[in-house]
Amino acid sequence: MTAALGRFLILASVLVSTTGAFIAFAAGSKRSPEGLRWSQRFAYGFAALMLAATGVMEYALITHDFSVEYVSHVGSRQVPLWVTIVSLWSSLEGSILFWGLILGIYIAATTWFNRNDHQEYMPFAIGTWLSCGAFFSFLIAGPANPFLSVANPPLDGPGPNPLLQNHLLMIIHPPMLYLGYVGMTIPFGFAIAALLRGRLGQSFLKPLRASLLLPWIFLTIAIMLGGWWAYEVLGWGGYWAWDPVENASLLPWLTATAALHSAIVMERRGVLKGWTVTLIQASFLLTILGTFMTRSGVFNSVHSFTQSSIGPTILVFLATVLVLSVVLLAMRINSLEAEGRLESAVSREGMFLVNNLFFVVLTFTVLIGTCFPLIVEAVKGKQMSVGRPYFDAMVVPIGTALLFLLGVGPALPWGKASKKEMQSALIPPLILGTVVLAVGYALGVRNVWTLLTLLFGGYAAHVTFAQMWLPLRQRMKHGDSFGPALLDGQLRRGRRRFGGYVVHAGAVIVFVAIAVSSTMRTQQEVTLSRGQSTTFAGYTVTFAGIEERAEPHRQSTIAHFNLTKNGKTITTMEPRMNQYAAMREPIGTPAVYSTITRDYYISIMNLQGDQAGVLLINLPMVGWIWGAVLLMGLGGLIALIPMRRRTYVVVPESVVTAPDEVIA
Amino acid sequence: MNRTVLIIGLLIVVAIVFVLFACLGKDPQHIESPLIGHPAPPFALKAVGTGETIDLQSLRGKPVVVNFWATWCVPCYEEHPTLVANARNLPDVQFVGVVFNDTEDKINRFLDERGKAYPTLLDANGKTAIAYGVGGVPETFFINPAGNIVAKFEGPLSTEQLQADLAKAMR
Repeated sequence: MTAALGRFLILASVLVSTTGAFIAFAAGSKRSPEGLRWSQRFAYGFAALMLAATGVMEYALITHDFSVEYVSHVGSRQVPLWVTIVSLWSSLEGSILFWGLILGIYIAATTWFNRNDHQEYMPFAIGTWLSCGAFFSFLIAGPANPFLSVANPPLDGPGPNPLLQNHLLMIIHPPMLYLGYVGMTIPFGFAIAALLRGRLGQSFLKPLRASLLLPWIFLTIAIMLGGWWAYEVLGWGGYWAWDPVENASLLPWLTATAALHSAIVMERRGVLKGWTVTLIQASFLLTILGTFMTRSGVFNSVHSFTQSSIGPTILVFLATVLVLSVVLLAMRINSLEAEGRLESAVSREGMFLVNNLFFVVLTFTVLIGTCFPLIVEAVKGKQMSVGRPYFDAMVVPIGTALLFLLGVGPALPWGKASKKEMQSALIPPLILGTVVLAVGYALGVRNVWTLLTLLFGGYAAHVTFAQMWLPLRQRMKHGDSFGPALLDGQLRRGRRRFGGYVVHAGAVIVFVAIAVSSTMRTQQEVTLSRGQSTTFAGYTVTFAGIEERAEPHRQSTIAHFNLTKNGKTITTMEPRMNQYAAMREPIGTPAVYSTITRDYYISIMNLQGDQAGVLLINLPMVGWIWGAVLLMGLGGLIALIPMRRRTYVVVPESVVTAPDEVIA
Repeated sequence: MNRTVLIIGLLIVVAIVFVLFACLGKDPQHIESPLIGHPAPPFALKAVGTGETIDLQSLRGKPVVVNFWATWCVPCYEEHPTLVANARNLPDVQFVGVVFNDTEDKINRFLDERGKAYPTLLDANGKTAIAYGVGGVPETFFINPAGNIVAKFEGPLSTEQLQADLAKAMR
């Protein structure tokens, strides 16, 4: 019964999204206000059906209705309720349904927020979103149907993938990632609408930018959570392995970041319209590529779902959207003509251009490294893998260059600057850069790239901080007192700008923390007998013994270590090996003792009787990465909150204004 | 129509789609064993229960199926009935189980509960598994009467898979 209801809802959503898409495109080409209202209703209808279908699935999961096939695959009476609830995204079919739910919510919310605005573009945007909705409904109805009936329902099921139960981060990482991935559909719809209309007006930039920024925030946090999870669970003391699917999440992030920057130039100068649209299209297409990577079984990765039949379907969708996007872009890019022009290469907008270039080069570098094994296999039939050395050699220089731009770009004025202006903008930050470099050198940093990162990082920190509080200082210079200057100038009118620089501040810290933690890490492998101690990185580690613990879903071997410093007990660390019934290999869980300056990391290599072979790792600054990425997300949120009035108070000399083009 | 954008764009698209399409359906986890076509690494291990030592060399002359497994592996539970049934049906084929990273009493309990039809050897220090390049359990090697490895299968065996690989060893 439940399964049949679910299947009915999904079939209805195929119908509603397809019909809605047709109506929306027709309304767009006929410029029919009535048609737009109908396409809005269909958008809400699609969201409602997705919500209902997910509700039915959750109901089936919670009531352990094993006559629903998906529940019989991932459900279990043995697991706690929260595990049952999150089982929705623990396996392929459910995760696609979850995708559909998020897509529905995004579509309905964006349609609602813009219900009276941008009527010129909205029908085409809704049409594009509902076309994507139709594809995902089709996936759920056909190749990845979670609502199939089981003729003879079992009494109990195996429960979800044990990794999902192993760590809390594993529960929030997937939804965050989906919110980022799926959200890229919205700016894509706007971009397609602009292309179909053949124009991209100033007033349309606001929803375009907001719709890009929101998934960007989620994706930023999701990538960090994934790295953090790997660090806390996988036991090698790292957070990024250039795994194909990690790369898959980074690729759309890179293009979306580039698009957020080029959109600023577009807003200020009226140029780079076609370019920004291309980057937005690329971001969406890369999310579909990422979905293909995780779900086709083509890539070898910790993330791969089991081999599934939806790979070819997603590939057909990807190929179709790719071709349509390219053709549409080629047809219309010339009509998105520039309204202004770039005056000087050595200016803020010039640096934006270089920044975009680097982001795109970085995207291609990572994409080629990720796909190279596939290319070799397709062409020569040989297996090979591209690992760290390639990515490190390619990405480190480009990343360092981006950090350099992050400092120099915001320091330069818009438009043409005189030599004197440039000198006064560029020279003072060198002081902080040099100080940070000297401190790093004094603390033992010798790696050239890390030293460069410290120099550029200090430079960028100075510029970022100065720019961040510029509105406040300007207001106070003009006689405002601190309170109004802060509230009105800084937090109200200057909020977007302020948020942007908070993101930059977070990024500077991330750059420095990544460089320091990866080049300054030290590690030691030791074998300890019970009661034996070793001293490493200032701490004494004593092996206190082993404990076996049987839990319903796993068998754990826990080693106890006492951590002391100068004779004082600091903490007890308990790395463990977990053997899950459904896994071929045991999963180690390291123990991490975090302080402000560094992490102390113990990972079990092997346990035999009274002997423990362990890997001790000393990782300076690694915890800063997680915090700084959260700061980036916070900055994004600050910038996202809409301003009440469309005014640009800061650096007003070069604001390009265009006539408003709302038809309504 | 901007032809440059169209041509460059479509070239990138065709390249990406071609590569992804060519790789559909391949299992990236699957790595060809370099041992195929080469003599099977020799071993002489003690059988669980009887304690008698079985030497691979002494099994020359008939096809041998070497199945690496452990009691802590769930797919091994799944394939065990298949192995037992086929071992009983095929008296001309020698089946051998090799267990590593496990204890004798657990293995005995497993076999008592689930049936045994062929000797199970204990690879106490895991050296045999390493010699065969076993990446996880279960993994099964098919050896022809001349003592060469002809096939390797990763994961739980089905009767069809087993017979297909065994056919190579019979040739």
